[in-house]
Amino acid sequence: MLLERLIKFFTSLRLTVVLLVLSLVLVFIGTLGEVHLGLYKAQTEFFRSFFIYWHPSNAAWKIPVFPGGYLLGAALLLNLVSAHISRFKFSRDKIGLWIIHAGLILLILGQLATDMLAVESQMHLRQGQMKNYSESDRLDELAITDITDKKLETVVAIPQRLLAGKGDLRNDPLPFVVRVKEFYANSQLSTNAAPGLARVNADSGFGASLWWKPLPRETAMDRRDMPSALVEIVTPQGSLGTWLVSDWLEQPQTFIAGSHTFQMQLRSERFYLPFSLRLLQFHHDVYEGTDIPKNFSSQLLLNRPDTGERRNVLIYMNNPLRYDGRTFYQASFDTDNAGTILQVVKNPGWLTPYLACVLIATGMVVQFLSHLIPFLRRRRS
Amino acid sequence: MPLPTWRPAFLNWMGLALLIVALAGCGRDNVKVYRLANDDAPSSSTPPDATTAATDQNENSPAPPQLQWTLPADWTEVAPAEMSIASFKVSGQNGAAAEVTLVPLPGLAGGDNANVNRWRGQVGLPAATPEEFQKMGEAVQAGDQPATLYDMAGQDSGNAKRILGVIQQRNGTTWFFKMVGDAGLVEQQKPEFTAFLKSLTFTADATPAALPPGHPPIGGGDANAPMMATDAASAGKPAWTVPADWQEVPASQFLLAEYSIADANGAKAEVNVAELSGNGGGVLPNVNRWRGQIGLEPVDETGLAKVTTTMDITGGQATLVDLTGTDANGQSTRLIAAIVPMGNQTWFYKLMGDKKIVDREKDAFTKFVQTARYANAP
Repeated sequence: MLLERLIKFFTSLRLTVVLLVLSLVLVFIGTLGEVHLGLYKAQTEFFRSFFIYWHPSNAAWKIPVFPGGYLLGAALLLNLVSAHISRFKFSRDKIGLWIIHAGLILLILGQLATDMLAVESQMHLRQGQMKNYSESDRLDELAITDITDKKLETVVAIPQRLLAGKGDLRNDPLPFVVRVKEFYANSQLSTNAAPGLARVNADSGFGASLWWKPLPRETAMDRRDMPSALVEIVTPQGSLGTWLVSDWLEQPQTFIAGSHTFQMQLRSERFYLPFSLRLLQFHHDVYEGTDIPKNFSSQLLLNRPDTGERRNVLIYMNNPLRYDGRTFYQASFDTDNAGTILQVVKNPGWLTPYLACVLIATGMVVQFLSHLIPFLRRRRS
Repeated sequence: MPLPTWRPAFLNWMGLALLIVALAGCGRDNVKVYRLANDDAPSSSTPPDATTAATDQNENSPAPPQLQWTLPADWTEVAPAEMSIASFKVSGQNGAAAEVTLVPLPGLAGGDNANVNRWRGQVGLPAATPEEFQKMGEAVQAGDQPATLYDMAGQDSGNAKRILGVIQQRNGTTWFFKMVGDAGLVEQQKPEFTAFLKSLTFTADATPAALPPGHPPIGGGDANAPMMATDAASAGKPAWTVPADWQEVPASQFLLAEYSIADANGAKAEVNVAELSGNGGGVLPNVNRWRGQIGLEPVDETGLAKVTTTMDITGGQATLVDLTGTDANGQSTRLIAAIVPMGNQTWFYKLMGDKKIVDREKDAFTKFVQTARYANAP
């Protein structure tokens, strides 16, 4: 009885309409939310969530007030699949509908894959500079490098998400525990005491003489958080000291554990590539007689040691480089026109929306023809 | 209601797809461990290692100081040669060709004399004596500052070859501008080459710009991040008197100052000064780090007492360390270091290099440490 009601609920067309209307409303309020929250936070709160929460200011509790993107997407998928199972029968005149629905399922699954698997990062290159990694524009990592062997350094990179959880972090190559005592996702540092700033409770490294305070997370698209953390290095023999690590500190800090020398730095999370890009020339063309940009382009040298591939590539607006599963877009540049910023997108599911659209369009044509042709036949006869 | 046979299979595939996507997404929060082969290390080759995931080429090619130029008519920009930030090709008649490279190197990069002799070797000329060398340079202008041009013509594999080499020191960097190629073509291109050098503009590092209208947005850019009150990592240099025969070289990362001492036979030693907050990691770990640098086994607290002495300095006491070992090439190396705690900071002075030079410079070094006056001294 209950099962039947459940099946009836999940297969109903009414549910589809309600979900689609809710999705429309979600997109509308999510778009408005970007004004105050910024794109990234609005995406997280409205679309990458099961519920949208509301709470009075300064309250520790919150209540769900609206379904989030994940919940609506999952419900739509369930609705579509269960409707198929219980209602649709495979027949020749329904083949178009089948293809359309397969396209819709692929679209929803593809977007989930994009959300889970896609990695966006940036590569900032000055003219003549070469890099074989891109960097996250949002998140940091704590890189601990064993520099004892100068020729082959071992890097252990702990992502910001693990630091934010505080507590003890252990990792095999490290002969010590990294104890995260404090973590600020956005922070201000100062060499002088000032109202609101607290003494950094570090006894080693640069932080011992600094003051700091947490800041609210950045919401503007053109600004970024500057995280800081207080970490203690604990060996089996005891603590080596407590260090401040911060995105503000551009130099790594050195310490010795046992017979090994380590460097520690909080820096933008890096994504290494099996090839390097060197910026040969950046061009910023303007319409003659004006300052209005006409085109931005980066002439790059691509070098891949394992295959011996070495060639020039040109990236400009709407003409990205697609290479090795990644897409490099011309995203920004330096004010002196001697540096470029490329947006690097690795999205294993990038083809799914195209395939889904092709399926849906094909399904529509097939469905239309499957009615048109019998109709024409009937008319002729 | 019995389901057609394909339906459970369809559901299975859907579930599997969801599971794969969800599991793949979970891996993002993992700690990454990788090895970087550092070609910049003192020894030449990198050991082959299957676990080498990436070569940190950026570490080895930091953003060089930037250049802009006016390109002469016959020149074509080509992919930069090794170490060069820009390279150009010049083609003449009958297949004659020449190449122009612009190479910045930190510090003195071996000095003018050694580099000119290297170039002379490339065109089959013998090394110039110091007297000859004095007469060789021509004054030219590279950008807004003077530079020295060396014009060398000779033979290479039976072909007439000419090198125009220009050296300029600028803000701790030595720039090498070089045209090399067919002797006739290089001679003919000399006015273009000097005009090109004059057209160079050295621009400072810039910060990312705001996006122009119609441009897709991006997420970051340090330029607009909130400003830090003052530079956290900077600290004032103590006032000190540097011995006359020490040559200051641009200090590398972490160092307040770096000096080079060399003798006529090419033997070298270096003095460097670093400043760290707190105790800078402590005396024992630092002594053991230095011991490791000259091939000595680490010591414990008891052993530490045997290799350290104390020395009076203005405003306190310094711990003096004297170690003798060998460098990576098996050469006898001596290291003398002074650790000076002052307030909540610690200064590290280190003299290290060829044993004979260190023996000779020991007194000068301790005197140098004693002359230092600290802003935060009691």
